[in-house]
Amino acid sequence: METKHANGDNLLTCKGVTKSYNGPIVLDNVDFSVRRGEVHALVGENGAGKSTLIKVVTGATGRNSGTITFDGEQMPLEFSRKDAQARGIACIFQELSLIPGMTVAQNIFLAKEPTIGRTRIIDKKKMNHQAQALIDKYKFPLKAEAAIDSISIAQRQLVEILKALSDNAKLMIMDEPTSSLTKTEVEMLFEIIHTLRGEGISVLYISHRMEEVYALSDRVTVLRDGKLVSILNKDMISPAEIIRLMIGHSISEKAVHHRLESKRSPVVLEVENITTVGKFENISFSLHKGEILGLGGLVGSGRTEVVRALYGIDPIDSGSVKFLGTPYVPSVKASIAAGIGFIPEERRLQGILATQTITSNIGIANLDVLAPKGVVSIRKELERAQKGISLLNVKPPDPSHLVGNLSGGNQQKVVLAKWLVRDLKLVFIDEPTVGIDIGAKEEIYEHIRKLSAEGVSILLVSSDLPELTRLADRVLVLRKGRIFHEFKDCVLTGEKILRAASGIIEEAADEA
Amino acid sequence: MSSHATRRLILLSLLVLIAAVLTLMNPVFLTAGNLLKLLQEASQTGIVAVGFTLVMISAGIDMSIGGIIALTAMVSINFISYTKLPVYVFVPLTLLVGVAAGFFNGFFITRFKLPEFIVTLATKGILSGLALVIAVKDSMGFVQNVYIQNEAYLWFGSSTFGGLYRTTIAFVLLGVGTQFFLKNTRGGTNIYATGANASAAKLTGISTERTVMGVYVFSGFCASLAAIFISSRMMTAMPELGIGSEMDVIASVVIGGTTFAGGMGDIWGTMIGSVFLALIKNGILKLGISPWIQPIVIGGIIVLTVIIDVWQKKLSDRLATKSKLRKIASAPGRRAA
Repeated sequence: METKHANGDNLLTCKGVTKSYNGPIVLDNVDFSVRRGEVHALVGENGAGKSTLIKVVTGATGRNSGTITFDGEQMPLEFSRKDAQARGIACIFQELSLIPGMTVAQNIFLAKEPTIGRTRIIDKKKMNHQAQALIDKYKFPLKAEAAIDSISIAQRQLVEILKALSDNAKLMIMDEPTSSLTKTEVEMLFEIIHTLRGEGISVLYISHRMEEVYALSDRVTVLRDGKLVSILNKDMISPAEIIRLMIGHSISEKAVHHRLESKRSPVVLEVENITTVGKFENISFSLHKGEILGLGGLVGSGRTEVVRALYGIDPIDSGSVKFLGTPYVPSVKASIAAGIGFIPEERRLQGILATQTITSNIGIANLDVLAPKGVVSIRKELERAQKGISLLNVKPPDPSHLVGNLSGGNQQKVVLAKWLVRDLKLVFIDEPTVGIDIGAKEEIYEHIRKLSAEGVSILLVSSDLPELTRLADRVLVLRKGRIFHEFKDCVLTGEKILRAASGIIEEAADEA
Repeated sequence: MSSHATRRLILLSLLVLIAAVLTLMNPVFLTAGNLLKLLQEASQTGIVAVGFTLVMISAGIDMSIGGIIALTAMVSINFISYTKLPVYVFVPLTLLVGVAAGFFNGFFITRFKLPEFIVTLATKGILSGLALVIAVKDSMGFVQNVYIQNEAYLWFGSSTFGGLYRTTIAFVLLGVGTQFFLKNTRGGTNIYATGANASAAKLTGISTERTVMGVYVFSGFCASLAAIFISSRMMTAMPELGIGSEMDVIASVVIGGTTFAGGMGDIWGTMIGSVFLALIKNGILKLGISPWIQPIVIGGIIVLTVIIDVWQKKLSDRLATKSKLRKIASAPGRRAA
């Protein structure tokens, strides 16, 4: 084949790969390749198309057009994850695919256990022996007979790697492998990645952490808005350069100088040293009346967890919270009663009842008003729904429309409407504009600004950097469950936020 | 792993404790006759529970077992009443009732992705209806109680070998064999993997459909096998036989430590569980308490066991959280200035 000659040392070659999920294009004509025995990093903001590209390569989803060649063979437009695995594409997932209740050896050899003769009886001795031999070969700190439930997350990741190795993987894809590891564990993983590279195995590494990308990779591919921006060779890689490419120029020019007035208004929410084990640690901040406080940071940095805990969905292990000056123990019921709202991230999962009408979706968050004695007033419910629809310009403006049939933007408006028809003092908004089109985005921004002007305090969690820079008065950046930096009164740019979120503080702090 | 061992130790101690108390309160309890009867009782439930355990480890549930027992018993009665076929011919044919019912369950669950509970509940309805249809009736159309006089058939449940009822021997053989299958063969491993994480299992190359199909067929087979022993022991059978037996079976499996979430449990636990349950029932009788409270007690035990299991997990989680909190508190926060 012609391509085989042209890409002699390429293990994986993607040409013109395009993918759209009914409408918006997520991957736009992406050319991408991984060489044999290289560590290749894939970077980009949230929504840049990294995970979609991985899904296409591992067979988790099909593509609309473009060719993928792996190990000299063309891959069909649709193939299964099993096909990909059989050819040597292995994916080490963050949420691991191991079987709890089984041992390390059982997991490594699952569905390919050595048997006694030609029977189906497993030769446990041989299996444990082979597993231990594999473990020893790579000097992993593991015991073949240890139960999966008794070992750490980092060790489980090693088991996944061994599982892939025993399948003769040629390409190992690691999606944010270090997000839940300690520093020494990360160092161990890096060593392992070097060993793998030494054996001629290619590693495709997805990370938000620039220092890791910098330390590990032979090449870096940067994606932005579903398009390939640049492929950097080892000598061209620097954290600042990668971030510059990830953000692009157009956005940093839009930077705005931030107002300070909110600082003079009274404090609505005061959070002091709250900690929930495994999620976030020692978070402290205060939120003023009418202020929009942005909560930035990478996915997994603990932003959503903080908000969920403050609303009372998840418990807080230690620390204290004050609401309007009095001590406050968060619980969903108390939050609703106190005028605190929560607009969650996963609309489908947490925000809407897809099989119900707009009316009942708005009604359900307002039952205390609509049905003070337990029986819902249909008339009042309809009034509220109509108020919500006109307030947020929901299309179609039909209260009996099923929410599941609305577009993403309009679903989000319904979720907003649920809360906005109430008298709120404080609202937590988590990723308000994920997956919706620009027009609806602007409308939602307008409503958030209007709320703030009316004196409602807003805690805004967002991965969309322009969203934070345009809306927020102050921005807190979380990193690994802690507050890493606070931006106030400065020319706030997406680049600065992303730098702080990636742990590059020197440059971020200068203008504060 | 150690919490698993602790749980088993507590269960066994409880078993001995209850037995000791019963002996003190009524000396008849500790006679060989009573103990053998108790084991036979345990085995009748236990044989069904062995199959049920596999279903539960695969994260499923089989509500059809009562219907399978009823229909199997009625098919047997028909063979005995209307044919002259020898036992070694018609009993294997009768066992096919459970196998077929298992296929039916497995087919609708895997092919049409229907919920296990609904499919097997419907199967139970269909089978218990069929049992009534084929029951032996008199000229007025009333169901007749047939008295089984076929000596060869009575061999199964009404005779002993080496002092033990054959039901008990069958239960032990079935239990030991199934335990070996679960822990030492690929098929057994596949059941655990399917129950613990079906998508991961599938990705690894396990045919979860075939695994699910297999456990329902086996569960059906076990229910049919139990039906032979039960009807043989009672020397008769009614079309209502086995209806409601889910309670006892689920209790045995849950007491044994197999969870509804799947991926956990074993046959040893189920065997202890069925003896435990039989002991409670026997105790109620021997203490002269009204037998009508049996289902209340069994229902209570199921709820209590599940509560304790959940509570035990929460407790260990909380202890882990506390030790981590202490660690964080002792390490100074490294917040950026």
